[in-house]
Amino acid sequence: MSSVKSVVISCAGIGSRLGLGQTKALITLNGRSLIRWQLELLKDFEDIRIVVGYQANDVIKEVLKIRKDVIFVYNHDYFNTKTGASFYLGAKDANEFVIEWDGDLLVHPDDISKIIDINDEFIGYSDIVSDEAVFVKTNDKGDVLSFSREHGDYEWTGPACIRKSKLQFTRGNVFEQLEPYLPMKGLMVRAYDIDTYDDYKRILNTIKTW
Amino acid sequence: MKFIFDLDGTITAQETLPIIAKKFHLEKEILNLTNETIKGNIPFVESFIRRVHVLGKLPVSEISDLLSGVRLHKKVLKFINDNKDNCVIATGNLDCWIEKLSSKIDCVCYNSVAKVEHNKVVSIEYILNKDEVVNKYKEMGEEVVFIGDGNNDMEAMRISDISIAAGLIHYPAKSILTVADYLIFNEEALCRQLNQLL
Repeated sequence: MSSVKSVVISCAGIGSRLGLGQTKALITLNGRSLIRWQLELLKDFEDIRIVVGYQANDVIKEVLKIRKDVIFVYNHDYFNTKTGASFYLGAKDANEFVIEWDGDLLVHPDDISKIIDINDEFIGYSDIVSDEAVFVKTNDKGDVLSFSREHGDYEWTGPACIRKSKLQFTRGNVFEQLEPYLPMKGLMVRAYDIDTYDDYKRILNTIKTW
Repeated sequence: MKFIFDLDGTITAQETLPIIAKKFHLEKEILNLTNETIKGNIPFVESFIRRVHVLGKLPVSEISDLLSGVRLHKKVLKFINDNKDNCVIATGNLDCWIEKLSSKIDCVCYNSVAKVEHNKVVSIEYILNKDEVVNKYKEMGEEVVFIGDGNNDMEAMRISDISIAAGLIHYPAKSILTVADYLIFNEEALCRQLNQLL
């Protein structure tokens, strides 16, 4: 079990863009909640920290069915903040290296070992598949040079790993927390964000093969 | 850094008042009071006075002996013993009842105080405000971490730098979840977080 790195799963948001009326952690994919999918993918990590806000009690109840040793972190101001705030809150009292994992992110099970094995900071990206992507530009070594809302080589999906001492509180997005430290090592993973209903339909097909 | 621990349910693996009540067959009276307090129908201080009124007639030495055998969370106890200069206990429980129990835990203990005569509690002399303990250490320049589970921990948790709601033996009071930074249900996870904060 990996005890060096903490994983921060940000599940505080209201999931408004997806439009399924609940926080994304609780949406079901082939009969299992999204947070269950994530916790099973991340079962080899010891220090799992789940940031809760909207529907916190429901998320906690679901998580406790799966494992009891999670540390829940409250983002009480979830309505006025984005994932950057949740990541900061989840990371500030964690282990030295912290893996950021959005509450709407799934990674192909065969790629999880890459994330466990890498003992350095990195930014995870994937081929472009989402409807509302943030892009990354990379160099020929795969390092991430910049983020962009307009265009890029790949899609920024996360996860990312960074020393917690580098993080500052922000009300904004995680990628804005990472920008001051670019260029950073890149890690190509088969990762999928579920931001919109089309993303949701796409991931239902994808996970059938897992 | 100062870690302030609630006693009942946080360090102990059993609530102490029900144990006393059971031993002396006063469960019904105490359970009613406890339930009404949890619902918010009786304020904590009033409830505490009423519970002491019921239990104060019992022999103090027997209660102290009884509570000295209460099970403790071993990993939490180890953390406290390993970091005794950084840890204190803040409990509303009476000094005369927890004297032997608290002597097993190697740190300073702040508690309520009773006047005892002929081995009985005759009056409550002081009821601990946990927020006063937090303020004391904050005024000394300490960063304060509070670990608790009950309604009466709420103000102390609100004013602490970091507050941890612990659900080790029951779900924490809903009120404290509105101010808590962390919520932890597992003793190992709690100790992991405490060590990360050191």
